[in-house]
Amino acid sequence: MSPLIPTPDTLPVAWGWFQFLLLLTLPFHLLAMNAMVGSAALALYARFRADEPSHRLAHELAKILPFLVAFTVNFGVAPLLFNQVLYGHFLYVSSILMAVFWLAVIPLLILAYYALYLYDFRFNSLGKAGTVFLAMSLLIFFVIAFIYTNNMTLMLLPTQWVAYFQNAAGTLLNLSDPTLIPRYLHFMIGALAVGGLFVALFGKLKENRDREMADAVVRLGMNAFTWLTMVQILLGLWFLMALPKKVMLIFMGGDTVATLIFLLGLILAILVLVTGLKKKVYLTTGLAVVLVFLMSFMRAYVRMGFHEPYFSVRSLVVVPQYSPMWVFFLSLVAGLLCIAWMVKKVVEIR
Amino acid sequence: MNYPMWYLPEIGGGTMIALIAIIHVFVSHFAVGGGLYLVLAERKGIREHDRGILDFTKKHTKFFLLVTMVFGGLTGVAIWFIISLVHPSATSFLIHTFVFAWATEWVFFLVEIVALFIYFYTFGRMDHRNHQIIGWIYFVAAWISLFIINGIIGFMLTPGGWLQDGDFWSGFFNPTFWPALFFRTFVALMMAGSYAFVTTAFIKDATLKRTMTVFSGKWVLGALLAALPSGIWYVSVLPQPAMELVKGASPTISRALSYGTYAIVGILIVSLLLTLTKPARHNGIYATVVMVCAFLFMGSFEWTREGARRPYVLNEIMYSNSIYKKDVERLNTEGFLQNAKWVRIQEFHEESLLEIGQDLFKNQCYACHTIGGFNNDILPRTANMSFPVLVNYLETIHDRRYFMPPFAGTSDELRALATYIYSGLQGKSMASAVLVTGGVAEMSPGEQLFADNCVFCHEAELIKTKTIGWSRDKIRLGMDNLSGLNPAMPDFNGSELEKEHLSDFILALHSPESKVMGTPHHLGESVFETHCSMCHSLTADYNPLLPKIEGWDRMRLRQALDQLDALNPAMPPLQASDEEKDALADYLMEESREVM
Repeated sequence: MSPLIPTPDTLPVAWGWFQFLLLLTLPFHLLAMNAMVGSAALALYARFRADEPSHRLAHELAKILPFLVAFTVNFGVAPLLFNQVLYGHFLYVSSILMAVFWLAVIPLLILAYYALYLYDFRFNSLGKAGTVFLAMSLLIFFVIAFIYTNNMTLMLLPTQWVAYFQNAAGTLLNLSDPTLIPRYLHFMIGALAVGGLFVALFGKLKENRDREMADAVVRLGMNAFTWLTMVQILLGLWFLMALPKKVMLIFMGGDTVATLIFLLGLILAILVLVTGLKKKVYLTTGLAVVLVFLMSFMRAYVRMGFHEPYFSVRSLVVVPQYSPMWVFFLSLVAGLLCIAWMVKKVVEIR
Repeated sequence: MNYPMWYLPEIGGGTMIALIAIIHVFVSHFAVGGGLYLVLAERKGIREHDRGILDFTKKHTKFFLLVTMVFGGLTGVAIWFIISLVHPSATSFLIHTFVFAWATEWVFFLVEIVALFIYFYTFGRMDHRNHQIIGWIYFVAAWISLFIINGIIGFMLTPGGWLQDGDFWSGFFNPTFWPALFFRTFVALMMAGSYAFVTTAFIKDATLKRTMTVFSGKWVLGALLAALPSGIWYVSVLPQPAMELVKGASPTISRALSYGTYAIVGILIVSLLLTLTKPARHNGIYATVVMVCAFLFMGSFEWTREGARRPYVLNEIMYSNSIYKKDVERLNTEGFLQNAKWVRIQEFHEESLLEIGQDLFKNQCYACHTIGGFNNDILPRTANMSFPVLVNYLETIHDRRYFMPPFAGTSDELRALATYIYSGLQGKSMASAVLVTGGVAEMSPGEQLFADNCVFCHEAELIKTKTIGWSRDKIRLGMDNLSGLNPAMPDFNGSELEKEHLSDFILALHSPESKVMGTPHHLGESVFETHCSMCHSLTADYNPLLPKIEGWDRMRLRQALDQLDALNPAMPPLQASDEEKDALADYLMEESREVM
């Protein structure tokens, strides 16, 4: 037990509900983030190509990037909330130690967001300058992800927290952690891969309107996906090796469920390579979504492995009051129905 | 104490929260009221078959989207970030207590985003009926967000029944819930009109500009009128201490409220002007004036609401410095250090007074005080205090100034904090505070006792002054009943022999050989130090007192000392004897003559 770990607050419902909600909502955030990063990267790539379909792709992606930012942010809110309920006493500490960087995420994101709106609304009048705005946004996304990786790893390492007593100004990072770089690359190369798949899917949906562009986009997106996924498998192994032995062994039989998830993940990764090479967009997308879910489950196991000497969610005290949770579930259903109705009305226009 | 403190002594966390929160609130209220404005402006355009109004509404929707979705949404996340960085304990408490309120709010945030995107991107392409419904969905979702957040924010100010039953719903539907909801709803509508002035200022077509400026002006005026009674209702349900702070007992709230009043008058004048007389003359300058006023108004409202909670961050639950109210008594006996997780030294010892004091400052004072910064700078506020006065002030801080939390910890820890402020921050030598007659080596038993027991509240000089003409018997008798001499003094629990030694020492102060200087202190000067110096200097830059009483005669000054709170509600009544007040009046008269 590290003396620095704060005393956690009590939970209103059993921890399993929060773990469930966390694992349910986080993959949506990751998928949206992947789509956002991948679209920005491929839009940038398309801008550097001279051919007409690439130009049209850059323009089409410009229109959807602001949506992707909005949904990445929104889908990030829910898992961050449930994370704080279970692990707030770790996350607040690591956030404070790197407070300057953590808070910088917001102005950076505002900058990237407005740059993308400018890129969208002034696509034609901006001309070449549009590339600068787009590139800046993409760079910001990578910086923000680096800040996030630092925080999400620093919250796992209470032994590193003593650095606070030398520096309380909120400018610490977790650079000495051997898992930091492989983890960051694993997430971001993965984001580019899945983002490529998203772009392919986007192209596929435009098939009826712009056949020429759709074909080029599907080719580009699926190539990005397959090649980057190959790199991704290697990075994943590096990440696995960089983990402390005790944590790594969780996936090597140490925990049956974790091991099964890991094996299933490996099989799926190879499967999506095959379907990706065959340019089967819908099937690959379906499998990749499952894969993202599996990987976020593994991520939860890694966290539990790191926390194991200090803390288990099972130890959290519950002072039960369930009624607010039922209100939440009811609103969620109502909200989703409402969204479905609105989307239906949009589809009907066409 | 449970969490580390992000320590930027010259900036202070409170300043950053205030800055981000005010910006967010300024935009988020627009995000709610503006939703209704869009739907109703569109409906006006549809009913009057006016292409111009519809085009205007579409253009305003774009402005609305860019302001609320990007800036409003992300500054909302920013508040969450900053409060967890500055007040992690309170944030954790709120997150755990209201997690499903927040989760529900997230659902409506999602509905808002989808609805707003659809509303904007299908403007003019969807049939009127469905497009209007989507606009309404946006507004209702946004308003429900306000409904939910209002419950949580209200809880922080007035936890109400939660304090008894710990029930989610008692905390959510707390005493200020309904008045605050009405007030905020009207403010949101006022914001909608104010922001619309920005768009109407740039309309080219004169008729359309007139129509929409008048339309927007009615929103501002109507909402402002409706906000007033709900604002009064809001204040009327505040608990007593909060009400007193709002009514003037807090200097910063008084200042905020006066800005708020100017802002309302500003909004009123410009919007009346635009609505009733000269809508055609509306331009960017008018729009800017209204926006600046609206920003000041929001800022002063938020400042007041936040300030009214003090000394708590969660009223009656957790003090501003993250210490639970229920823990203070325990900390006073067990000690703060050994219960704190993020301090360097967990066991009190004399050799590390400064380090301990600094950690205590970080943990107990820094939540509100900067060192040399803009907000509540500690330096001028303690510059005029002698060490004993500082110690005494810290001991009674919450009783003297309600809006400051009590010090939580043992008397040793309190002394360490005072040492840090006195010597570490003010750079004054502790030797002058502790040294009595000479070096440690030649201390008499009485002097040693004095150094161990008395000097933290008064130096030898003051004792010498106060006991002029006293006989040995009178001193010894006083030793048995210190609280009888002065209710603020604790009785001395030493043995008979120790009392004898102390009496000898005090008597010796008056002997010709004594190195201790007597009577440098005017009695009035020590009254000033004890009761006034935490807020006033005589002439220096920090709230100087002498200029305020320039030209007063002694009688007026003496009378004023009896009713300080009538002079200024922020001043606590002077709790001193008539004799002390007389001395203070004399002292101030002498000092002001010298200055003149």
